[in-house]
Amino acid sequence: MAHDEGASRRTFLKTAGTAAAAASVAGCTGGGGTQETTTTGGTTTETDTQTETSEEGDLPDEFAVTITQGQMPTTLDPQNHRSTPTDNVVLHAYEGLLGRDQQGKIVQKLATNYERQEPGRVRFQIREGVTFHNGDQLTPEDVAFSINRIVDESVSIASPQADQLAGVTGAEVVDGQRAVDVMSDGANPIVFSLFATYCDVMQQSWVEERSKSEIAQQMNGTGPFVLEQFQSNVRVEFSRNEDYWRQPPAVTSLTFRAAEESSTRVNQLLEGESDIIVNVPPQSIGRVRNNGSTRISAAPSTRILYNAMKYNVEPFSSVEFRRAMNLAVNLESIIENVLSGFADPTNQPTLEGFFGFNSDVSQYPHDPAQAEQLVEESGHAGVSITLHTPVGRYLKDVEIAQAVANQIDQLSNVSCSVRQREFATLAGELTDGNLETSPDFYLIGWGNATFDASQTIIPLLTCDGALTSYCNEQVDQQMNQAQSQTDEQQRDQTLQQVNQTLHDQAPWIFLNRQYSVYGVRNRVEWQARRDERIDAYAMEPAESQ
Amino acid sequence: MAMGRFLLKRSVQGVFVVWGVVTAVFALRYVTPGNPITFVAPLDAGPELREQIARELGLNRPFYVQYFDYIFSLLQGDMGYSYIQGVEASKLIFARLPATVELAVAASVVAVVLSIPLGVISATRRHEPADYAATSFSLIGISTPNFWLGIMLVLVLSVQFGLFPTSRRGIGLAPAIGMLVTQLDFSGLVTWLSHMILPAVTLGTYFTALITRLTRSGMLDELGKPYVRASRAKGLPETLVRYKHALRNTLIPVITVLGLQLGTLIGGAVITEAVFAWPGLGTLLINAINSRDWPLIQGSLIVIGTGFVLINIFVDALYAYINPQVVH
Repeated sequence: MAHDEGASRRTFLKTAGTAAAAASVAGCTGGGGTQETTTTGGTTTETDTQTETSEEGDLPDEFAVTITQGQMPTTLDPQNHRSTPTDNVVLHAYEGLLGRDQQGKIVQKLATNYERQEPGRVRFQIREGVTFHNGDQLTPEDVAFSINRIVDESVSIASPQADQLAGVTGAEVVDGQRAVDVMSDGANPIVFSLFATYCDVMQQSWVEERSKSEIAQQMNGTGPFVLEQFQSNVRVEFSRNEDYWRQPPAVTSLTFRAAEESSTRVNQLLEGESDIIVNVPPQSIGRVRNNGSTRISAAPSTRILYNAMKYNVEPFSSVEFRRAMNLAVNLESIIENVLSGFADPTNQPTLEGFFGFNSDVSQYPHDPAQAEQLVEESGHAGVSITLHTPVGRYLKDVEIAQAVANQIDQLSNVSCSVRQREFATLAGELTDGNLETSPDFYLIGWGNATFDASQTIIPLLTCDGALTSYCNEQVDQQMNQAQSQTDEQQRDQTLQQVNQTLHDQAPWIFLNRQYSVYGVRNRVEWQARRDERIDAYAMEPAESQ
Repeated sequence: MAMGRFLLKRSVQGVFVVWGVVTAVFALRYVTPGNPITFVAPLDAGPELREQIARELGLNRPFYVQYFDYIFSLLQGDMGYSYIQGVEASKLIFARLPATVELAVAASVVAVVLSIPLGVISATRRHEPADYAATSFSLIGISTPNFWLGIMLVLVLSVQFGLFPTSRRGIGLAPAIGMLVTQLDFSGLVTWLSHMILPAVTLGTYFTALITRLTRSGMLDELGKPYVRASRAKGLPETLVRYKHALRNTLIPVITVLGLQLGTLIGGAVITEAVFAWPGLGTLLINAINSRDWPLIQGSLIVIGTGFVLINIFVDALYAYINPQVVH
């Protein structure tokens, strides 16, 4: 697996996994730039929770950067969307209590300290000396309001992000302290992990004085960039926030644009019209690499692609048949030939580097002979199956589905075809709460930015999961157990057991981990992140520029 | 007087057409698979959150209530709010409209400027090299898919030779003219033109070829008619015969095609817009359809439908001017 930038992938993933683990612990405290000591289950780990800062030094007078994504942001309201391109824009002006650094480790943002008071209650100390772009000071009331605006529809809006703060029921300011308590249903062992990824802080009075439409077109955060101009569906322009509570960014002006066509984005990059572009398709990687002034920067993302097989419908009700499907697929070949090597194989629902990942689980080998034998044992020899796939939703989704179907079809005792579906229709069938209306066999992707196994397994592979295709009482029991465990090691073990069970039960054909592949002009120092965020705060002019 | 009545009748018909479009699109909600909540809510959202969002968007109300509410709002100029973007649909649509109209008009100008002379030359020099060249060009133009042509133009003229920007709009025509008028600054107009040329040529090539063929066959048809022979027999100069009499009659079907083409282009040249990252109505509508953003779909179709109606009325007026018999 070659990609242009990055250290050892395994080391990197290990670090990220540790970070995720640290995020999931029962209690942790941190102080700006201090060593944080975490005690769980009798073990003590030290996690560096330094506030993320750019290197001290002279800031450039002029360093303009243009980023081209596939889509423009749907809104500038950071709490009223569920789209990565929107996040990438709004997170330059808005910030959360916690965040993640380049390596995926948890860092403090607007919180200087965070700890569990008791099961179902955690406390965040709120940073002092932070101002919103309009000059007003950040207060604990703003933080509590922001959390409540997400989880409680009566506050302002029915936020589509309510589920991202899973289990959180509300927040309140602590009397006499510059702190906010966040309440949850149950122990909520992953609450810090959730806050490291989600919940951007807005100013209460600013929100209350504006209509929904105005909030969708204006910005007033605490982040490193200030909104200069927003032309819906055309461009978003930011300038450097000179009053930022950290060192101001090196980038003086930041422009976001969009081009749906990947070839258009590549041409913009090659011609110097854009500095960073997203989703360089495999066929264009050579052009970007060989151009002389551009490069590829890639990172494994938090998105897994899989083929779900509905557990209660023949032939997929047979575990032998499901395993046979995994053995029939030559995943290495798909990664090499369809995705040009920019993907990793998977063997369980949890991605490497995530909390709960089981490194002892083996890969299903490509073994058509054994697959045919298992099909015979399952009693479903001669069956015809249809793989439903969305078109254009994920990188090379149709091509991957066609490759999978062709490989299954090559078995002497199974026929397989592909049915291409519009994503809206397919998603509607999967999310209507009725398993009967879902296709029996479909390709879909799932992104999980919390780095915690539970946020993939619960929705997708438990009996009551919103998007489930599988039901197994043992798995449900173990997941309930994991969600009530506040001991990090015990919880990790439980999740690893679940992953082993799910590998053996093969509810999915385990496909690939998607990569985020960016084209970058050499004038910009920047490395791809695995959470699909494009963080302009981390950008600097290249030394040669 | 008769002309006024004729246009009034056409206008009233147009209002009914637009109303029919709105009603049909509203009905489509209930036969089209896919729910807007799929896009507003996360995939794994529970039923409670889905219900909350449905309430917020007003999707839990009966169909007829939503319909009459929408019609009533529309009469007050309110197209509702985009489900996905949370912004007035009208604001999003009218922000895109200038780019679409500019591109459509520019492509039509390319088509008219090139095709009518080509068609006339081709017809008047039948079976000569000029005719073969024009018919070959029109055959190639009609056969070339515009997504391929657009990509090739970008690769050759932008990436290879750096003559034009690869994509985007750059600047609107109105601000460009504003710069020229207020500051005598041509740079805005140059920027506008440099961004416009490739998409306009890409979009206009097919129509150039189509109208070239139409003009050629029309001219040939007209030049063979008795009134042309009579004109020539009377000793009228050939240029007068060709360009005053024959061409004028040839232009009647050409105007029809041009009008329909302009309407189609205002409906959105989706492929060209995608290739050039052009912020037009076509891509807005396609994205709205893909995400079931009904206020945006309805609003876009109302604008497009109204555009079609206005262009048709204009074409009818031209018809009536060229051939007064149409009024009767």
